[in-house]
Amino acid sequence: MSSFQAGSVQTNDYVDPTPLPDHIPKVEELGATSAPLKSAAFFIGAYCKDYNEDFMLCKAENRDPAHCLKEGRRVTRCATDLITKMRENCLQQFEAHWNCLERNNQEYYHCRKPERTLNACMFEKLGLTKTIPGAPAGQPIHEVKNPYFKSVQK
Amino acid sequence: MPYRQDMPPAGGFGALKYKRNLPFRGPGSFVILGGVTAICTYGFYRLGKGNLEKRELQREKIWSRIHLVPLLMAEGDRDAYRREQAAVAREKEIMKDVKGWEAGKSVYHSSRYRSPEIVIL
Repeated sequence: MSSFQAGSVQTNDYVDPTPLPDHIPKVEELGATSAPLKSAAFFIGAYCKDYNEDFMLCKAENRDPAHCLKEGRRVTRCATDLITKMRENCLQQFEAHWNCLERNNQEYYHCRKPERTLNACMFEKLGLTKTIPGAPAGQPIHEVKNPYFKSVQK
Repeated sequence: MPYRQDMPPAGGFGALKYKRNLPFRGPGSFVILGGVTAICTYGFYRLGKGNLEKRELQREKIWSRIHLVPLLMAEGDRDAYRREQAAVAREKEIMKDVKGWEAGKSVYHSSRYRSPEIVIL
């Protein structure tokens, strides 16, 4: 009655330890988790605009992963460069912001205070600003003084 | 028992309360209607403003993800390429005795890329 039945679905992880072929140049993966990435997203967009657009145009040509490896390496190097610069120049503000995002469901509107200090620091040190494309003219949402949506707990 | 006429009390009866007694029962209908209208108007104003703000928050969230797409896609592509190459190498090794076998050849007559349908775990 109760005999062992091997399932029909594999439960192994999809692990393949084979490294990349040698003719592909190696690039260190960024390795940042979601909150730091989300905190740095707009700066990555501003700093690496050319590389990102190049990569996406390349992907639009052909979806084959082999087609855009070179552009992809440039994108990753640029992002790594930016994160390194951020950590060198605005480490304290950066960590405050992404820790806040981590604690607040990764919603920007809960973390305006650390975000503003980070934005100010990034503009001062690296000259990067956060701009949201397509936003209507006037005050951008991250600079509204008294927004309707904010944390209940201060 | 001697006879006794029933008479009013000394000093006469007290005054009769015949005046209407209508205490103040809150604001009138037009005041309430006006008040409710004012509160609702303010509420809808805030709702409208909040909707506009929500739209902007959504735009911010979407753009934060758009900016990260190339980065994540590049990383994923490198991984996919590595696994594909490994799979092709395995296939070549397994099928090395079969003549005319092309390892990693698509089953479709199309140059469009398709991700592998079969994954060996």
